[in-house]
Amino acid sequence: MRRPRVLAFIDPWSPDPAELPAIQAHLRGLGAELGVVTKRGTWLVTPDDPPARLAEAPEADRSFEVADGATLVEALAAAGDAMRTPAPMTFTRREWALTSIAAGFSLALFGCKGKPHEDKPAPAPPPVVKAPMPPEYDIVLSVNGSDRKLKVEARVSLLDALRERLGLTGTKKGCDHGQCGACTVHFGERRIKSCMQLAVMSQGMKITTIEGLAQGDTLHPMQAAFVAHDGFQCGYCTPGQIMSAVAMLAEGHAKTDDEVREMMSGNLCRCGAYPNIIAAIQAARKGAA
Amino acid sequence: MEPFGYIAAADEKMAIDEAPRGTFIAGGTNMVDYMRLGVIKPTTLIDVSRLPLTNIEAAGDGVKIGALVRNSDLAYHPLIQQKYPVLAEALLSGASPQIRNMATTGGNILQRTRCPYFRDMHYAQCNKRQPGSGCAAIGGFNRSHAVLGGSPACIATNPSDMNVAMAALDATVHVHGPSGERDIAFVDFHTLPGDHPEVETVLQPGELITYVTLPAVTGKQHYLKVRDRASFAFALASAAVVLDVQGGTIHGARVALGGVGTKPWRAKEAEAALVGQAPSPAVFAKAADAALAGAKGQPTNAFKIELAKRTLVRALTEVSK
Amino acid sequence: MSEVGKPHDRVDGRLKVTGTATYAAETPVANVAHAVIVSSAASHGTIKAVDTRAALAQPGVLAVLAVGAAPKLPDANKKNSPQDKILQLLQDDALHYPDQPVAVVVADTLERAQHAAMLVASQVTEEPVALEVPGGEAYKPEHAGPRGEPDTTRGDLAAGLAAAKFKVAATYRTPVHNHHPMELHATIAAWQGDKFLTVYDATQGIFNVRDRLATIFGLDKKNVRVIDKFVGGGFGSKGSPWSHVPLAAMAAKQVGRPVKLVVTRQQMCSLTGHRPVTVQELQLGCDEKGALTAIEHKVTSETCRFDEFVEPSAIQTRMIYSCPNVVTSHRLVKLDIATPTFTRAPGEATGTYALESAMDELAYAANIDPLAFRIKNYSTTDEQEKKPFSSKELMACYTKASEAFGWSKRKMAPRSQRDGNWLVGWGMATATYPARQMPASARVTIKADGTAVVQVGTQDLGTGTYTVMTQVAADELGIAFDRITFELGDTALPEAPLSAGSMTAATVGSAVKIACQKAKQELAMRGGKGEVTVEHHNEVSKDHDKFAMHSHGAVFVEVKVDEDLGLVRVSRVVGAYAGGQILNAKTARSQLLGGVVWSIGMALVEETVRDPKTGRVITRDLADYHVPVHADVPDIQIIMVDEKDPHVNEVGAKGLGEIGNTGASAAIASAVFHATGKRIRDLPIRLDKLLPDVHA
Repeated sequence: MRRPRVLAFIDPWSPDPAELPAIQAHLRGLGAELGVVTKRGTWLVTPDDPPARLAEAPEADRSFEVADGATLVEALAAAGDAMRTPAPMTFTRREWALTSIAAGFSLALFGCKGKPHEDKPAPAPPPVVKAPMPPEYDIVLSVNGSDRKLKVEARVSLLDALRERLGLTGTKKGCDHGQCGACTVHFGERRIKSCMQLAVMSQGMKITTIEGLAQGDTLHPMQAAFVAHDGFQCGYCTPGQIMSAVAMLAEGHAKTDDEVREMMSGNLCRCGAYPNIIAAIQAARKGAA
Repeated sequence: MEPFGYIAAADEKMAIDEAPRGTFIAGGTNMVDYMRLGVIKPTTLIDVSRLPLTNIEAAGDGVKIGALVRNSDLAYHPLIQQKYPVLAEALLSGASPQIRNMATTGGNILQRTRCPYFRDMHYAQCNKRQPGSGCAAIGGFNRSHAVLGGSPACIATNPSDMNVAMAALDATVHVHGPSGERDIAFVDFHTLPGDHPEVETVLQPGELITYVTLPAVTGKQHYLKVRDRASFAFALASAAVVLDVQGGTIHGARVALGGVGTKPWRAKEAEAALVGQAPSPAVFAKAADAALAGAKGQPTNAFKIELAKRTLVRALTEVSK
Repeated sequence: MSEVGKPHDRVDGRLKVTGTATYAAETPVANVAHAVIVSSAASHGTIKAVDTRAALAQPGVLAVLAVGAAPKLPDANKKNSPQDKILQLLQDDALHYPDQPVAVVVADTLERAQHAAMLVASQVTEEPVALEVPGGEAYKPEHAGPRGEPDTTRGDLAAGLAAAKFKVAATYRTPVHNHHPMELHATIAAWQGDKFLTVYDATQGIFNVRDRLATIFGLDKKNVRVIDKFVGGGFGSKGSPWSHVPLAAMAAKQVGRPVKLVVTRQQMCSLTGHRPVTVQELQLGCDEKGALTAIEHKVTSETCRFDEFVEPSAIQTRMIYSCPNVVTSHRLVKLDIATPTFTRAPGEATGTYALESAMDELAYAANIDPLAFRIKNYSTTDEQEKKPFSSKELMACYTKASEAFGWSKRKMAPRSQRDGNWLVGWGMATATYPARQMPASARVTIKADGTAVVQVGTQDLGTGTYTVMTQVAADELGIAFDRITFELGDTALPEAPLSAGSMTAATVGSAVKIACQKAKQELAMRGGKGEVTVEHHNEVSKDHDKFAMHSHGAVFVEVKVDEDLGLVRVSRVVGAYAGGQILNAKTARSQLLGGVVWSIGMALVEETVRDPKTGRVITRDLADYHVPVHADVPDIQIIMVDEKDPHVNEVGAKGLGEIGNTGASAAIASAVFHATGKRIRDLPIRLDKLLPDVHA
């Protein structure tokens, strides 16, 4: 017994640490392992382990050739799309190539999932009237210096746009009601709670998240101070604390420890790292001065 | 959240024209919260956050504050810091810096109650959400609820700190609606729940708050907020006071209470008990008694009556030092 | 020089401050669908129908699994261990508690799932609810938690009380607490075919989750993989899988896509455990010189009707002081509530509040300084178990902390210090928590390039596991700290127990230490060349049978109480702790700080309130359930007292994750008494309990 597996023929290919997270994300979505056959060897890529080089060609439930000009990630993404939605009605040539691969691929995957369980309840009768599709809006968010295009319903929060759509999961969800501060980002120069901000209302403003704070490999002084002073334990409130603290120093209204405590009180820390956070902020202030 | 449409208002006229189709949103800190809870379900949001209602300027002896001025900008503005410290203190005691960076003056005026029964859609009983359904807070856990201005239909507290200072300062709210512009005295802006707790203000459909004016006031000012945590908590009781003492006699007094009323609570009775008297603990205590004379406690919030009195006495003591 | 003990920065610090540490719900998964639990509006009764039509009509909705129409799981409630919970997996029509899951909605986006979930309506035949411990029918549980008899009797209580010159009898109450880790409980479930399941879960115990899912879905354990590289706090709530975990897997199976299910903050009040209410009756007596003659500690706590959890609040009372006559008991009252569970320092947090408050009361009754009273009754052996302590540096804790605090300047009389409107009070208490260990395995690979990889299927809840294990390995392998990688959080790694009970340092540290020694020997046998991998299974130190093993501490607190308004602020804390070998001075201190902050919360602000009619949690979010904010927490001085313990385990560490949350809440309550003369025996000490008269 083994996991569902697909085989891709592509050349040249070798595991690339930059590409691997995307491949693994797609494999998690597909529920399959991937064998990659190249002229120079064969690899097995699973969702959660480093790629392994195989001595023998792997068994497969389905194999496909990655089309010219496409990457493995694109082929896997197309397969996922095909699983999710019916095939589109019109194609460009290239879409046709990818989609046809993907359609077969998805069928193969469904096949190896086996028959539905007998104890699975009968599906609910289809509702008579489907509710209307909510309107969607094409928006552009300027995040960490780059413009990111999105199509979202108006009810999508900036936080969920960052976390669920832009892959920027450094900004945390802790309460979804503006009560914990874990979702703090900079909106222009201001610190705000991104869970209370709608994405459609966030256009035209420079948004900075924790991912945009460091300069390349060089940590922002506040980030470095949090590490040095152990200003966190579990780390979940940390991006919010740091974004809040950086903005607080720029605001210039808090200097003493007690003033800093007051002006950081919108950021909860359940591990109880508060004394260390204050120490980190005051150290960063001195470093900045 | 219910799905809804979104319109960004380009100017004030567009906002008013679109008003019949939807609900205004500015800072979003209150709207998004209650929409996510399912308490409010607008079909269309009219985004007024980009309208140019962001000025704070001197107006006569007083000040004119745009409805879209953020709470943090208002609190730190030199005019407010110098002339209306009670407002600055009230603003800075509210919420957290992040929320204050988002929340607007107009939105804060319209802040909804924190009554847990109002917020939890699983309760069928809430006259504010569903007129005529009953009140789960009366006879429930009502530690945060009002002791002033309640009715058998509702005892929900107005949670805003800013509103308490605005009430004390005799602010005027300027609104623009389909039938033109009008001014509303702040103390008349919010309504008592009575038989209709679903109605919270005198704002008419489609009316947009455009700015707030404050008259000149004389005297020392202070806002004192008492709460369970040292910060980032709603008031159990608060007091905004302005005391004008000349030659050992109180010439003028403005008193408003927060955390204890179903609306921002201007305490004229307390003011009457102060004016003409020499400041003293006994006079302050008498004023506090007058302010809370009509108070009605519930089993879990009766302590607020005494707490509000002490809060007021402390605030008056501070400004008479 | 030894790496163990050094205040190394966390090895995962950079990931955490840059937002690149990936928590369970953040695992990249293409095509992931979003599931939302529909919580019951009704409190208790029988579910008659769940109407899913409106939800199913919404665009993007992939499935609605509801009571009466959910896949059947015959082993839904087969527990693998007593700590597993009875789950609510939509299998039957019994509604036990408010917010219980009645359906799960799956949609292509989070917003669509959230909205559709609000459209699901259930019909329930409601029954009245019982919600209060007092007046309930109490029964004796079989065990007081995983470690102990419910009742003990030593000596003759009546004789001890009769012989007492001074006596105190008082009842203390602690409320429901919610853990509220900042990271919401979350599960991503991804099936690979019918037989393989991978789950990314926010958990303190990946193997517990693996085993439970294997049981529920009838899978081979080997085919279930649970991964959690970073845990955003747990504090007990993530100790065993709750209903949402299998519900996510059930939903993923149903829709044929991976599913992400994040429990909301509001739901975390009911669906992921809580610390139960305790009512603790204490009677203490001492002779003229202050020697304890009798202690009785009777605990009654709440549990739910369909499962059982005991808050073992009287366990420490059996050993903490020397006393010939000691009676302890634990009783439970079944209520119509969700299941309580372990919460940071389960038992000791609530138990030391009551016991140490009563000790303060007796010290006042006898007019003896509270510190001198503790020292007078110092225990040198565990008198209940009749075992010596493996080590006990509590006396040094008392001395060092009291000196740093300036306790000798304290005036005994209440209301003897003032700072303007603030009355100032000082209080102290003893802190204690048991030193535990469980079996664990570790794998060590020494590579040819001189680097090493150490792997254990444990967790890092923010305690510093990644860092301290790297330090332990560095010393044993003789390899530089920065050339060692420690991996955890994956059931594909060697098995380790859940991270709870302050035992990870001892349990995993010992396994790592011995595995490293073996790997080094193996490499030496091969002439020091090439790559070696060694796996070692470590058993619990045999000395656990011979010795009583506990961490100890002494905590001193200053509070200020506004005389008119009843506001209480903690203005100063000094705590000294002896927990055996410190593996990392920086992370150890942080854990102790955190524990003390929890005590500040417990003493002053934290309480989960239920509606008296429906039992629905009123304090449903972080605006209504107050945890301390920055402004509530002063600088806290932590003193680490040297303690060598050759018996406790291979690394000599006793664990510090919970002891900070013992004693300190009693020290605060006693300081409030010292400030005001008013004794509050019902937490939290909020201003309405001090009003209308802050005087006694």
